[in-house]
Order: sequence, then structure tokens, then C-alpha cells
Amino acid sequence: MLSNFGITVSIISLLLTTSILYLSYYDLKSSGNNVSKKIYKFAFFQIVFTFLGFITLIVAYVISDFSLINVYENSHTTKPLFYKISGTWGNHEGSLLLWINILVLFSFLFLILNKNKNKNFKLYTLIFQNLLISAFLIFLLTNSNPFSLLYPIPTEGMGLNPILQDPALAIHPPLLYIGFVGSSIYFSIALAALISKVDSKSLALTIKPWVSVSWTFQTLGILVGSIWAYYELGWGGFWFWDPVENSSLMPWFLMTALLHSVLVLERRIGLYSWVIILSILTFTMSVVGTFLVRSGILNSVHTFANDPSRGLFILSFLALMVFSSIFIFFKYAPDDNKNYKIFSKESFILANNWFMIFFLAVVLIGTLYPVFLDTLTGQKISVGPPYYNFILAPFLLPLLFLMTLGPKHKWISSDMIGIFNIALFISVILFIIIFLSIKDSSILMLLILLFSTYLITQTIFDFYEKFKNKNINLSRIISHFGFGMLIFSISLNQIYSVEKSFNARIGDEKNFQNYTIKFNNLETFSKNNFKSVKGYFEIIDNKNTTSQNLTPEIRVYNQPEIITYEASINTRFFSDTYLTMSNISNSDIFNIKFQKKPFMNFIWFSVLLISIGGILQFLRFEKKI
Amino acid sequence: MLNIKTKNRLLIFLSIFALTIILTIFLFKTLRNNVLYFYSPSEVSKTDEKAFKNNIRLGGMVKPGSVETDDNEIKFIVTDYKKEIIVTYRGTVPALFEEGKGVVAEGKLKDKNFFLAKRILAKHDENYMPPEIQESLKQNAK
Amino acid sequence: MRKKYLVIIYSISIFVFFVLYLSLGKNKVYTTQDNIGKKIAEVQLNYFDIDGEFNTKEISNFKFTLLNFWASWCGPCRKEHKYLVELSKNSNLKIVGVNFKDEKKNALKFLNEMGNPFSILTKDPEGKKSVNFGIYGIPETILINNELKILKKYVGPINSKDVKEIEKIINK
Repeated sequence: MLSNFGITVSIISLLLTTSILYLSYYDLKSSGNNVSKKIYKFAFFQIVFTFLGFITLIVAYVISDFSLINVYENSHTTKPLFYKISGTWGNHEGSLLLWINILVLFSFLFLILNKNKNKNFKLYTLIFQNLLISAFLIFLLTNSNPFSLLYPIPTEGMGLNPILQDPALAIHPPLLYIGFVGSSIYFSIALAALISKVDSKSLALTIKPWVSVSWTFQTLGILVGSIWAYYELGWGGFWFWDPVENSSLMPWFLMTALLHSVLVLERRIGLYSWVIILSILTFTMSVVGTFLVRSGILNSVHTFANDPSRGLFILSFLALMVFSSIFIFFKYAPDDNKNYKIFSKESFILANNWFMIFFLAVVLIGTLYPVFLDTLTGQKISVGPPYYNFILAPFLLPLLFLMTLGPKHKWISSDMIGIFNIALFISVILFIIIFLSIKDSSILMLLILLFSTYLITQTIFDFYEKFKNKNINLSRIISHFGFGMLIFSISLNQIYSVEKSFNARIGDEKNFQNYTIKFNNLETFSKNNFKSVKGYFEIIDNKNTTSQNLTPEIRVYNQPEIITYEASINTRFFSDTYLTMSNISNSDIFNIKFQKKPFMNFIWFSVLLISIGGILQFLRFEKKI
Repeated sequence: MLNIKTKNRLLIFLSIFALTIILTIFLFKTLRNNVLYFYSPSEVSKTDEKAFKNNIRLGGMVKPGSVETDDNEIKFIVTDYKKEIIVTYRGTVPALFEEGKGVVAEGKLKDKNFFLAKRILAKHDENYMPPEIQESLKQNAK
Repeated sequence: MRKKYLVIIYSISIFVFFVLYLSLGKNKVYTTQDNIGKKIAEVQLNYFDIDGEFNTKEISNFKFTLLNFWASWCGPCRKEHKYLVELSKNSNLKIVGVNFKDEKKNALKFLNEMGNPFSILTKDPEGKKSVNFGIYGIPETILINNELKILKKYVGPINSKDVKEIEKIINK
């Protein structure tokens, strides 16, 4: 029943989408100054029906309707309600439905929020956006239908991998999708602006709120993903430069570049083509990421069920999208006049763009290189974190420096403001204190610490100035402060992390550095859907004679049958204590990994600050209207 | 004689061009130095000593019955049905590490029969088999 | 000038897309198709609900044997099950089931619900013996003749096309 309903609703959405395309196309030629009322009506029904499809799937999950293959394969009656609902988008088909919903939502919001814009500009945007929607609806209906039937109907579902039953991972996909699927709207706007020859100021004003929104959500999505990896994977790391992680980071670089260059475009004409290119690239990179993740051509620690036919569809779609947007760009792009002054604010903002593009290139090459090498020569390799760390770290220095100084410059002026000020003085003193307390570390790491301290203190000064001068951009201060904090805490995290692996039996005691680890006891529990072996450990810090109790677990789930190792993490303000335990073939010896992870809270908090900057940027814009 | 504007432009263009080339060379050099090559036990026995200097990934099956755990480390044999390599490792193993299943170990070769692993990899997939292993096993499982 | 750029960018992107397309073709799903034509490994398998062991050598007593690896927790197994039931009606063919890493209770429930196509049912509760057949995921199905030679191997659920293919071979 739900299956038929879901399929019908999706087909109606597709019909409505094609009708909107048809109506928009004919409305281009009509004489009126406003978009035809009919289109508004159709767009309204389009969002209602698309949303209904999504609700249908959620309902199927909630009532555990196993006549749907999708529900059967990913759910179970004993699962908590929260994970039943989040199971909806935890798989390929369901997430594709979510993807379509966000495309439609942004299309609808664009239509109703831009009442006063040029008519043809709006219509072209609508056409491009609905072309994207129809392509994905066709993909959904022909290849990845979440409403496919299963017969005979099983009485119980297969369950969801317990490692995916996690609150962070439940909200991770929607956040990330609003981020990078949201970028579709400025892809459409950019192409429409080219064709309808919209001037740079109104292009900037049109895309700005969408860029801030998608950027904020992308940042939050990446944050939540890292938190999940930290807690659940049991390696104690939060970023592995894994292809799947990279494909969420690549659009983020472009969004960041766009967020900055839009600020220039608002005031000057120079960057028109560049902003268009960035907008097109952002969504393209989002689809590239989806392709890499879903087609199975990459090896990653994050597994997705793979199917080459999906990859082929996304690849063909991507090719079509790239070739037609390049064509449109070359046909319609105007000639820019480029007159910059070297030390003006634009140059600094443009410098940001250079860095973002460079970072993008580094990550893109690192991600694709193994694929290309394997395909062309058959050689199997993987690119590890050292490549990224080695290349990106030195470039953080100039980036941090420019982030500190850049915002202090006025628009279109060329006088150099003194680099030497109180902020620098304070940060040097702070740095010396840090330097004296760190025993051994590389020069590069120390320089990064110095420059991030400078950025932090300078932004604090800027914040203070904000009370005197209301024109200063608060969102910039908070985001830049967050970034400084992020780099600062990651560096200290790298320097101060302690790691020790060993084997132990019950009753064993290990001493190393300042720590004593006691393996006191082992207990078994039986829970509803898993059995668990819990280890009781006491960790004594001999320096200040504090002790903590940690209880890592080995769980054996029954639906489906999966073993997981649950890390035990004790979070303190400055430092996390992280303990994992594993066991092979029921031996009485356990493998223990002890880690001390300082400044984790600071890392999470600074990314949160960065995204708050995005929200403020959005609100600032809203106030102006 | 070029006018100043064109001259400036040319200068900027050239410096950007040079910068791009330098960065590209730097990038690929780092990439070369930091890739992890994948070896199967048979490939290790065929390779020369140069593979011993860098970190590599070793993939194959955990030989059933070969896993030993003592007070210090874990020891097991990785096989591709033709050649075997003894792997020692200190640390926690992924939940999917099991005898008779595929495994990828990251670390250094001490010699052609002995591998020091720094990291053991696995996926969250019950039926996971890394493609590299699949291929080497496919060739040998005859 | 613009045209030149357009041509360059188009050529680069065509190259990139071409390589990505090729990489898609490199099927990374595990196959042991090489085993076709080889003899089946000699393995002792415990019977599912009675004591004793089934030796794969006994397969030579039957004209054709279909060795099927399944479990109640496996979704695709459910999809292929009706085809196995259909094939079990053919007198030229014996279907030997290997219940893979399963709980007895769940497996019995599965067979009660969906029908039992297996003439002989064995189990591999730890999944260790199946490795000898080159099984890494389930379902997998192997067609063997009375000379113990592997005729066909299906990775993933069998479908109506595979059923026709099997019927064609065994009805010769």
C-alpha cells in the first residue's frame, strides 16, 4: 500500500517538475513583468508531493512495513523510534529521496523569496533547478527506488548496522545534504544570471544568503561527521583524510571561497565571471563527491553498498552537467575589467580564494590519484594522511597571517597598515609562554602556533573595537576567531597526544610515562539486542595523583550479527582520556589502546564558532533587506 | 615598447604561471613520497629491497589457526595461498579481524618473511573484502 | 581565444570522465569465476540438525548439485529463495544448502516461512569452512556436476535468468 502510494507521489512530482519546466519556458516569452501565477501554484504542489513521498517512506520505517525492500534491509522492529526515522536516510535510496526534497525545497524557497527580481532571471533559475530535480527523480524511479516491493513479506527486518545507530550519524546526512545539495541553487542562479545578463550587484545579493546557509550547514555536517568518527571508530582520531571525508571537504573549500568573493562582488564588478565559475564548481564538486562515494570506485573506511549502475548514472549526469555549463559559460560570459590595487581588501579576499583553490587541488589530486593510477596502470596505492599534512601545513602560515591582516584593510585603498601593533606584541608573549612549556616540536608547528595565536588575539581586539564602531563585521570576527582556535587546538592536540598500546590480562598493571593503568575486572552483560563484555580499568595520573575509571566494551549484536568495540572516553575540560579494548578468538589476553587526547572540546567548539559566523552572516544580510 | 599596463599584466601572469608550476611539482613530489603501495605476500617475495624502506600495505588472508596473542603483541600469518608472511602488531585490532578473513596491514617489512604492522584496517562491512586482496587471491586461488 | 580555452577545457574534462568511466568498469565486486571448470574443494560440513558430516565428495552421487550458501539474516537470500524452491522441483538437481553464520532458531523460521528447497542441509556457523569454497559474502551459489566439476558460480542472489541458465544445463 505504502509502496504504491510512494511511487505514485514520486511520479506526480516528476510530472509537476516537467510542467514547471514547460510553463517557465513559455513564460519567458510572455510580456508580463512577473512570473506567472500558475508556476507558483505548480511549485507549491511540487513541494507538497515531493515532501509526501519522503513522509511516506518515514511512515513505512516507523510502522516497520517490510513489504518495502528498503525498509526490510535497513530496519528492525526492535529498533528505537529515533533510529527507525533516521534509518530513512541512512541508505542510498532514502538519502536520494532526501536529496530530491532539498533540491525542491531550495527551488521553492528561491521562487517565493525573490519576488522583486528580474522575471527572466528567476525563470531561468527555475528551469535549471528543475532540470536537476527531474534528473534525480528519474534516477530515483528507474534505478534506486526506495519504494520497491518485496514478496513474500518477511516478518522481521535485517536491522541496521549498530555502528550507524548513533545520534551524530543520524543528523549528519541531513546537515551535509542541506550544505552541498543546497549549493545547487546557486549553480542554477549562476547559469541563469549568465543567460539573462544580470548585473554583478544583484547576482551577489541573490546568491549571498544561499551561500551562507549552505556553508553553515556544510560546516556543521563536517563537524558532526568528525565527532562520530572520533567516538565510534575507536582510533582516537577525528579526521583521517579518507576519500569520503574529502568529498565533503572539497565543496566546503569552494563554498568558503564563494562566501568571500561574493563580498567583493557586492561592491565591485571585477569578479563576476569568477563568482559564476565558483558557483558552478561548488555544485559540480558536490556531485563529484557523491559519485566517488556511491559508485564504489574508492576504498574508504566508510562503506556504502555499491552498485556500478548507480555510478554510471551519476557519471553521465555529471558529464552532461559539466559540458553544458562550460558551454553556457563560454557562450554568455562577459569580459571582466580587472583593476585591483595590491593592498586593497579585494586582494586579501582574493588571496583567500587562491588558498581555497590550492587546498581543493591538493585534496582532489590526493583523492583521485589512486583511482587514476589503478585505472591507467593497474597499480594499487593509497594516499595517506602524511601527504595532506605535509603539503597543507606550511600553507597555513600565510593563510593565518592574511586572515589576521586582511580584514583590517579598507575597500579599494592601497595604504599599508602597520603590522606591528599591540595584538602582535601580546601574541608573541603568549607564544613564548607556550614555547617554554613545549619541550620538543618542529619549527613549523611552532610557527603555526605563533600565527594562530596572533590571529586569535587580533580578532579579540577587533571584537573589542566592534563596540566602538558598529560597522565591523561580527560574523567575520567570530569565524576567523574560530578558525584560529581550531588550528591552535589541533596543533596542541598533535603535540600533546599520548598513545600507548599493549596487551593485558585481568589484574595486570602497566606503567609508562606518568601513567599507571590497572585492568581490574571484566564483566559480561546481556542487553536487548547485544551481549557485552565490559572491562574495568583504572587510570592513575602519577603527576597529580588523580584517577579515572574507564570501561571499554566489546559488543556482539544479534540483528545483524556484528561485533563492535566501544571506546570508553572520559572527557575533561582540557583533555580526553580514550581507551579501547579488543580481543581475538576468545583468548584471555586483551589488546588495549590507551590515548590521551588534549583539547578535543576546543576543536569541536571552534568549528561550532566558525559555523556561527555563517549564521550571523546570513542574519546580517536579512537585516539589510 | 610595451606600455606599463600590459607590462604589469604580463609580469603578474608570468609569476602566477611560475608559481603554479612550482606548486604542482612540489605537490606531486610529496604525493610520490607519501603513497602507500599495496603488496600481496607473493609480490613481497618478488620485490627488491627498496620496498623495505617505506611503509606499505600488506594484504591477504589471516591464516586460520595462526593467530597468537602474548603479553606484548599479536602475531599472525598473512597468506595469499602461495606465500606467507609473519605479521606482528601491537594495539587493538578492528572488530572484523578474524581468522580466515581478509586483512590489510599497514607498516614496514623487516625482511621478506617478517612484517611490523602499525595499523590493521577493516571496514564496517560484514562481507567486506578489500578489492586489492580480491584480485591477488583470485590469481592464486586456483 | 575563447574557443581555444573551450577546446582545452573540454578535452581535459573528456579525459577525466573517460578515466572515471573506465574505473567504473573495473568491477570491484569479488568474483571467483576463475574457479569454473575446477574441481570443488573436499570439505566436511556438519549437518544442520542431525549429527554427522557431509563430505563434498558425495556430490558425485548426484547428476547435478547446486551448492547454496545462505542465512536468515541475509536480505538478498530472501529474494532468491523462491527461485531455489522452483529449481528444487527438478529431479535432475539436488540442492545442498550451507547455512552460513546463523542461529538455528532463525534459520528454521526462515525455512518454515519461505519453504525448504534443500535436499541436504548443512551448516557453517563460524563461516570458516565456506572460505574453502571461495565464499566471502552470501548468497553465493555453485553448480557442480557428478565429476565434482564447478560449472557455474553465482555471486549474489540468483534471478529468473540464472534459473533458465541452470535449467538449460541440467536438462541436457
